[in-house]
Amino acid sequence: MQKLCDKVLCKIKGEKIEPRPRWQFLLKDYFIWLAFAISVLVGGLAFCVALSITVDNDWDIYKYLNVNPTQHILLSIPYLWIILLLLFLGLAFYNYKHTKGGYRHGTFVILGFSVVGSVIVGSIFHSMEMGREIDRIFVKNVPLYQKIHCCCHRKDIWSQPEKGLLGGRILSVRMEDGFDLEDFQGLVWQVEKDSQAFVGSPVLVQEGREVKLIGEKRAEKLFWAWEIRPWMGWEDEDD
Amino acid sequence: MLDKTNCEEKSDEELVALALKDQDFFACLMERYEPKLTRYIRRISAATQEDAEDLLQEIFVKVYRNLNDFDQSLKFSSWIYRIAHNQVVSQWRKTKTRPQVLKFEADDDFLKYISTDEDLAADTERRFTGEEVRETINNLDEKYKEVLILKYLEGKDYREISDILRRPLGTVATLINRAKKQFAKIAKEGDIKF
Repeated sequence: MQKLCDKVLCKIKGEKIEPRPRWQFLLKDYFIWLAFAISVLVGGLAFCVALSITVDNDWDIYKYLNVNPTQHILLSIPYLWIILLLLFLGLAFYNYKHTKGGYRHGTFVILGFSVVGSVIVGSIFHSMEMGREIDRIFVKNVPLYQKIHCCCHRKDIWSQPEKGLLGGRILSVRMEDGFDLEDFQGLVWQVEKDSQAFVGSPVLVQEGREVKLIGEKRAEKLFWAWEIRPWMGWEDEDD
Repeated sequence: MLDKTNCEEKSDEELVALALKDQDFFACLMERYEPKLTRYIRRISAATQEDAEDLLQEIFVKVYRNLNDFDQSLKFSSWIYRIAHNQVVSQWRKTKTRPQVLKFEADDDFLKYISTDEDLAADTERRFTGEEVRETINNLDEKYKEVLILKYLEGKDYREISDILRRPLGTVATLINRAKKQFAKIAKEGDIKF
């Protein structure tokens, strides 16, 4: 009776079975590591956008919106980016588990590494202002984005002059204490501010800038501004 | 023709390198692992000797095809046991039948190990006969049986079991610990008619 190892050897020789080349395995390993790195990177991007939105959010305007602070916080959380961050953390975890030695680490260790990796990468991106840039690109190119986005950049929030909230683009700076502003419905407002008004940035009141105003509607198309904030946290946007 | 005496002095890792150049050296690896893997397959799958041999043929062909994927940071034995384990699991999935009862035929080593295990003896305040161990093992959860088989029958340490089952070291330790506790509980509660 033929021994098992002879049978196998006969099969290998008869069917001309060859070991798969090493490069195929290496390619697979590199691909998994690349997928892991991309997941951490995209997770980092999602984190930096969420961070930018959180930092730029107008946490104090709830009193003008007739909502309590908790409701305002819940409305302001950047859910979309948090969901994306969690999704890519999950992908990073999955990819790491499928690396050659991935099984040696427990779930919490791998998730911890992925979270720390995404937070570090995201913080670096944030310091490069990439979060605001990505947010701005989405605002300009994805109409639905503003609807599901947190309230700080939602145009409808800043189109309530009766409640003291007005947003739009500066058309012309008339004098030191006033300027004309076109709101998001295309109406032109005469905006006045006194010397005590808080202005978010020294270069903020310039033609073409998009701003958010907190103040009081004093007459038809006349708005008294107590505070002027940049629309998206920028300092030197050109358009 | 290959002189088999050449193989005996060589390590598994050396034989892998040689088998990649000359198929005949793969026979040495097969001869070295055939009895161990046949026993292992039968222990974890309750397969007949014939079925185990069929499965083992597939395993050896798979091992040969994937020789270049052998991770030098592992022991070769862990790697080949892992492939065997995966192949058995894959077979379960194909047939959709997982063995309900493990057969411990003449596993004297296992009986000796587990019946003299100090932890178990302390937990249950007595030692076990071979028949008692057999009965108790058959009442353990499936997830605990294989770790006990690898630890006590195959004589693998925690690191090797971790590499074979692709589970973290801590999880393996937990599984073995829980397996022992369940073993002691079943024995203590007297669910088994000895």
